Amino acid sequence: MPTPFQIPRILRSCCDDCDVVRLEGQTVGELLQDLRREYPRLHRSLCDETGAVRRHIHLFVNDEFIGHRHGLDTPVRQGDVVSVFQAVSGG
Amino acid sequence: MSDRILISIGTRKGLFVAEGAKNRRKFTLRGPFGGGVGVYSTLVDNRGTPRVYASSCNPFFGMKILVSTDLGNKFKETASAPCFPEGDGRALNNIWSLEAGPGKKELWCGVEPAALFRSTDAGQSWEMVGGISNHEHARQWHPGNGGLCLHTIVRDGQRMHLGISTGGHYLSEDGGTTFQAANTGVGAGFVPDPYPVFGQCVHKIAPARQVPGRLYMQNHGGWAEWHGPGGPRPEIGVLRSDDHGQTWHSIAKGLPTDFGFPIVVHPHDPDVVFVVPLDPMTRVCPHGAPAVWRSQNGGKSWQKLARGFPKKETYFTVLRDAMTMDELKNPALYFGTTNGQLWLGREGGEEWECVFDSLPGIHCVKVATV
Repeated sequence: MPTPFQIPRILRSCCDDCDVVRLEGQTVGELLQDLRREYPRLHRSLCDETGAVRRHIHLFVNDEFIGHRHGLDTPVRQGDVVSVFQAVSGG
Repeated sequence: MSDRILISIGTRKGLFVAEGAKNRRKFTLRGPFGGGVGVYSTLVDNRGTPRVYASSCNPFFGMKILVSTDLGNKFKETASAPCFPEGDGRALNNIWSLEAGPGKKELWCGVEPAALFRSTDAGQSWEMVGGISNHEHARQWHPGNGGLCLHTIVRDGQRMHLGISTGGHYLSEDGGTTFQAANTGVGAGFVPDPYPVFGQCVHKIAPARQVPGRLYMQNHGGWAEWHGPGGPRPEIGVLRSDDHGQTWHSIAKGLPTDFGFPIVVHPHDPDVVFVVPLDPMTRVCPHGAPAVWRSQNGGKSWQKLARGFPKKETYFTVLRDAMTMDELKNPALYFGTTNGQLWLGREGGEEWECVFDSLPGIHCVKVATV
């Protein structure tokens, strides 16, 4: 089953104004690979050229920050929802 | 017929566009464009239908190129921004320079980490230029305080000059395909060898278009008092070349300090050049009193221009791309400050007035008649 991947409003212009895209994969990293194929501009906004998630992007599986689990290897299961947040930063 | 002046102002919080008549009495301001994101480079390309470009350097979502085809009333993202090829291992941190190429829709773009990109479709797609981006020196360059950036692109026919901090001056004589370090006479203060082959912290390079081969450089000066290995390096900060950048010599004598960021050449007189000397330690106006310094004889001597500036208690910085000059018959200077002021210098900088007082900190200023 595809996993819902919630998109913040500021990035929806990269995915035809969808608030959710559905991605295939068993881990967050695999979802991002699918995102790269389906929505390359959106992927580029979340990840740099090396594939690393940008420094100020935080990805959550349900309520858990993936940095507190297994990073891009964090598994996703049926019923999970992945969300994109901007980290607290600025000035 | 061009009858308006357009000033594109890149700031910490987005791009602003000011438009005014040629008499420069009043400017109207539009913006900010780019959602409060820092803009480190901008370009007004007034060949044909004018296009205003800006880099939008988003710390959250990466780099974007913005473009306007209606004189800066509306901007949209181009289809893509420069990015390093897969497997390269580098990732784009910032976009520092946008310059027009010889082709109608050709653009060149300098980025951080230091690399060069080229577009032939007005910024919709980009290709990395391997001759400098994968130069044998490239992995030995190192970042200065602003990051390891390719910030200056000067085209002169088949020649192309690049300024890299901290890499030095690189010259191509085949239209930007291959590059050689060309730093003879360009000093460095932060390494034991005062005159290395490459690795200098060039701040800005400006061509004197009427004289073939004449270039001016603001280098990282401020090393007159250095007493560590290699000894003092006085007057390495402001330089001139008369042989297409192959060799350089100091023209800093007579300036209050040889540290600064921008250097600007008069569009109609190759002997008239402007710098903004800054205190080397604090990098703000020396003694709290802003001044632009002008040479009218190619750097042999300098005069202070300060009429209209505060005389005390003023501590701003003018960054490398934040000063420019229009190309009208009697041209004016413009510079932006890190505390968000845009200054206009009439009569070639003889009379200064603050046009905008409270913009976000200014990174870059470009001007064109449209």
